[in-house]
Amino acid sequence: MMCRTDQAPDPEEEKDVDATDAMFTSLLEDSAEELYEQAPCGYLSTLMDGTIAKINATLLEWLGLERSRVVGRMRFTDLLTVGGKLYHETHFAPLLQMKGEVSGIALDIKTTGKQRMPVLVTSKVKTSEDGAPLLIRTTVFDARDRRAYEAELLRGRRAAEEARRQAEADRVRLQEALAVLQQSLLPAELPAVPGMEAASYYHTASPDLLGGDFYDLFPLDAHRWAFFLGDVCGKGPQAAAVTSLARYTLRAAALHDPDPVNALTTLNTVLHDRYTSGEGRYCTAIFGVVEPHDGHVEVHLASGGHPSALIQRADGSSDYLHTPGGMLIGVLPKATFTAARARLLPGDTLLLYTDGLTEARTGPDRTLYGDEALRTFTTTQPAQGPQALITALTGLLASFGDGLHDDTALLALGPTPLATPGVTT
Amino acid sequence: MSPLTITTRLAATGPVLKIIGDLDYETAPELRKALDSLSMAPGQMLVLDLAGLDFCDSSGISALISARNLAIEQCGDIALAAVPANTLRILGIVGLDQVFTILPDPATATNRDLMTG
Repeated sequence: MMCRTDQAPDPEEEKDVDATDAMFTSLLEDSAEELYEQAPCGYLSTLMDGTIAKINATLLEWLGLERSRVVGRMRFTDLLTVGGKLYHETHFAPLLQMKGEVSGIALDIKTTGKQRMPVLVTSKVKTSEDGAPLLIRTTVFDARDRRAYEAELLRGRRAAEEARRQAEADRVRLQEALAVLQQSLLPAELPAVPGMEAASYYHTASPDLLGGDFYDLFPLDAHRWAFFLGDVCGKGPQAAAVTSLARYTLRAAALHDPDPVNALTTLNTVLHDRYTSGEGRYCTAIFGVVEPHDGHVEVHLASGGHPSALIQRADGSSDYLHTPGGMLIGVLPKATFTAARARLLPGDTLLLYTDGLTEARTGPDRTLYGDEALRTFTTTQPAQGPQALITALTGLLASFGDGLHDDTALLALGPTPLATPGVTT
Repeated sequence: MSPLTITTRLAATGPVLKIIGDLDYETAPELRKALDSLSMAPGQMLVLDLAGLDFCDSSGISALISARNLAIEQCGDIALAAVPANTLRILGIVGLDQVFTILPDPATATNRDLMTG
């Protein structure tokens, strides 16, 4: 065990110390003058007007100047670059005058070959015993490495800022592209159908993920209009590709054969064949045809795995137009779809929706909203036509807050509502 | 949100995959990966034990159909066992209750095939 005690130093140890001191002295400067001249920094002394009175060899070497050309002939500011001179006049000199010393100021001095050399300058005013300023002593440190390091840091920061700016621009561009794609999956606006009112709403759950809900309304001929609303399984770009395929397939199929079951069968064949290998792509949809007549609208629709349409009646009741057993589209080579018919009178509204609405979670225990709640909600709304119902449902969706976790599409159709008594238009 | 865990065991009747947690857009690829490593003999039944399935969205439904396609490609069959009420309801809406064999529990699947096979 080693321990140190406060005993007198042992004579052997004292001898060692003497030897070390002697060795150091032989290595160290010959004199204070030598230390001044060859110090690892520049030294100079100037009169109060800046005239250089004394300068060391290190600084002369940096400047590439002869002592005889400098002492008594140049001022400190003559050693500085134009920018350095300016900074000296506006900041350095006033500060020195005020405080008697300044330290660590970054300036550039002119060196041989019109090069500039970054330095850190510290100056202190020497005063007489009664406080009158006599001269200025200045040290000049080589700051090339430090300035290079700072420049490197600055370059790094600029590069990082540029990368961030680029990433932000990319993100904005991607978001714009997504918005444009999303819009291409839906009609810009619903067409005007004589004798009918139509309204729609689309809620996007996430601006970063393309949704898979779609709907459309378009003329078949002078008397009939086709409509559909569907939901592709999954989300993101792969789902959006299917959404686009489904939308244009249904449009083309409807023009060829507008029978609802046949239109869905065509879509089933297309999806099944297109995605026959690997990861399949499926969708649910209701496709239908409306035929406005005097005083009513005939509806003929079919569902493939889609939640049943809801009819809000003028008398305040609401009922589902059940289409049980219709199959998810694209799963089987031969699928069955279920058709249904309905007649809409003025004040009646046919509502199609995606399950974002009925699968929403509500309340503190996040219970399923469900189709019965939707039916009840609809009965509590005044039967004032498609636009009024969509407006009410938009409010309902907003009230779900983050309980609404999926994209939700709504499409409502009905005969043009009769003017409400007492209201003139 | 609960993570998805899938455990596979091999019964005499074929592979039984126990699926626990959420089967959704984020996790559905894990089921596909588990399916990729399966091999079935012709005539075997792939059983998906869904008793621990907390949540299944449309991406999850797609993954279940992938499982069915895989079973059929390998000349086998598929059954869903112990399907939670909410998922069963959704399967009903999309008409898949007509496509999948749905059993009360995995034992029914593994025993039944032993008896008939």
